[in-house]
Amino acid sequence: MTVNVLILCAAGMLVSALLMVGQKALFTAIRLYGAQSLLLAVVAATIAISEGRHELLVTAALTASLKGILIPWFLMRTVDRIGIHREIEPFLNVPASLLICLGLTVIGYRVSTGFQEGSRGVSHHLIGVALSILLIGLFLMVTRRKAITQILALLTVENAVFLVAVGVTTGMPLIVELGISFDVIVAVLILGILVHRIVDRFESMDVSRLSNLKG
Amino acid sequence: MNVLVWTLVAPLVTAAIGGLPGPRRLKEATMVSGLAVTFLLCIATARQFLEGSPPSAFADALRVDGLSALVLVLCGLVGLLSGAYGVGYLRRNEARGLVTPRLRREFYGLIPAYVFAMLLVSVSNNLGVLWIAVELTTLASVFLITFHDRDTSLEAGWKFLVLGSLGLAFALLGTVLMFAAGRSDLGEGMSALHWTRFMEVAPELHPFTLRLGVVFALIGYGTKAGLAPMHTWKPDAYREAPSPAVVLMAAGMLNGALYCVLRIHLISKAALGPEFSSGLLLTLGLLSVVIATPFILIQWNLKRLLAYSSIEHVGIMAVGVGLGAEAGVFGALLHMTYHSLAKPVALFSAGTLGQLHRSSDFDRIRGGTFSRAPIASTLFVLSAVIMTGSPPFGLFFSEMTILKAGFFGSHVTATSVFLGALVVLFCGFAYQVAHLVLGSSREFTEDSPDPERFDVGMAAAVVAAVIAVVSAFYLPAPLIALIRAATEVVWGGA
Repeated sequence: MTVNVLILCAAGMLVSALLMVGQKALFTAIRLYGAQSLLLAVVAATIAISEGRHELLVTAALTASLKGILIPWFLMRTVDRIGIHREIEPFLNVPASLLICLGLTVIGYRVSTGFQEGSRGVSHHLIGVALSILLIGLFLMVTRRKAITQILALLTVENAVFLVAVGVTTGMPLIVELGISFDVIVAVLILGILVHRIVDRFESMDVSRLSNLKG
Repeated sequence: MNVLVWTLVAPLVTAAIGGLPGPRRLKEATMVSGLAVTFLLCIATARQFLEGSPPSAFADALRVDGLSALVLVLCGLVGLLSGAYGVGYLRRNEARGLVTPRLRREFYGLIPAYVFAMLLVSVSNNLGVLWIAVELTTLASVFLITFHDRDTSLEAGWKFLVLGSLGLAFALLGTVLMFAAGRSDLGEGMSALHWTRFMEVAPELHPFTLRLGVVFALIGYGTKAGLAPMHTWKPDAYREAPSPAVVLMAAGMLNGALYCVLRIHLISKAALGPEFSSGLLLTLGLLSVVIATPFILIQWNLKRLLAYSSIEHVGIMAVGVGLGAEAGVFGALLHMTYHSLAKPVALFSAGTLGQLHRSSDFDRIRGGTFSRAPIASTLFVLSAVIMTGSPPFGLFFSEMTILKAGFFGSHVTATSVFLGALVVLFCGFAYQVAHLVLGSSREFTEDSPDPERFDVGMAAAVVAAVIAVVSAFYLPAPLIALIRAATEVVWGGA
């Protein structure tokens, strides 16, 4: 039962990452990120209960409330205020992007077999999914032009790192975890403020226009 | 409470006072005195270490060894200098009516906060705390980069934060993987992430997981150090940030990030043998030195020039450590020390030139700066001589030490490339500086530069210059002891 829940949630996270690649509406992309974070929280909670590691419940609660609800809400508010709702044509079209992401998933799974725990059982899936999401996040980062999508890509990478932390180590020490969450929140707030300033100044949040500094 | 905790509390209090509304004079006095106290506390901490009772706090999460003590003292000194210069810098901006109360609060709050985060980096013994501290330095510096609120500063700030956060995500993944590599041996709770704990169980760490973790962590922290090819944020950030903040990045955070890189390197060395991470460091370092060369030759902006010089110097330090010889490590740490003493002079004088001309672009400044700003120009030429590693100044000796370690070791080809790049860099830098300060004075038809005045900022620059020159002939014995202790940490792995 536990194993099934874990694999289902991990697969759900991977699917949400892939859907994000195929998505141009910013609101939907943000919701997908929120869903992904909630699934991460479920993974953490499941491991916490099945292995009796109760600090992990705190991690799960933090993930659900901050990354599942607060950050998506903040990003949606930012998008709403700016009034730009769609990603413009990415550098690569959607079918090509999805094909590349498929390849990245294969690579992620391949690397995961080298781990101590990776060759067997549920950890293998968690690491494989995490590395795939990491690569997809990086891919999003380089191919998308809207500032908000770049933030989402960054947060996706962050989720992947947390999935590795939960899947392989069953959690970092709690204080460290709290510190990291705090830092991530502040980083997102600052990114949000910068997006506002960029839109005010350039009347666009197309970051490919930020190219005056060279050499 | 022990002296280590006070060392961290002092800049934090300074930041809090600076960030609250209040009269300008009070903020200025608080920043300078707060950072002076911080520096004294750093010295006291280092002294306690040298006397044989290394301070530690919070169940060893913060701990001072030789490497920490060296970085701590250097950061403290750079923090104080940059605080003093910062007061003068902001006053000049105030005189031109560029400073709103909000900007003043940001400036006086963020600079000590940045110093705090750097000091925290340098005494972290816990890989988790280390990551959090590095992220704090990033967050503290973003609004310093966008301080002038130009189009280009937004661009630089955005690139800095996105690239920095990505680098830190990598570093976090690296930390997690390294933790995973020793899952069964490291134990439970906070102490499981202690660096000292990692060193104890190093031979038992799972090699594949650790290798992957080390690569990610080195790339992540290397991004913060500005090692090529993750250096691209550096020139933009240096150009846009106010000079006092740039000094903190170039002479403070650079050491802090290198400190992280060294900690990871040491774990890898203890667990996987010296070749793996040394090879990585040597490659990244060499790449940084080589990549900096063309950009210095074609440079069009003074502060960007110094950014590439900074990439070069961090590359030199990485090469020194990567050569895998004790002399190389000693040379690298000596280089770090001399670089931290020389860089403030360069950035203070360049910052002053840029401020007087209202732009740090060569087009604006070029042509007879000596007649317009004699003190700043003299200091700049002096710093250029020091920074390019000319004898008799310190950086010459540290570079020679590294070169010698290289030619007598097993990396002769790499060292030859390194030497070639250094020679080209020397010529390029000298050419750019000569072009900038020499030549006949020119007339400004409109928007003429401000006259130079000797104020508190210039005084800080002169003091920094005196320190940089004197250090070539005389290093205090305790500082040499610290460099030796740091070498022992990095070479002996203890």
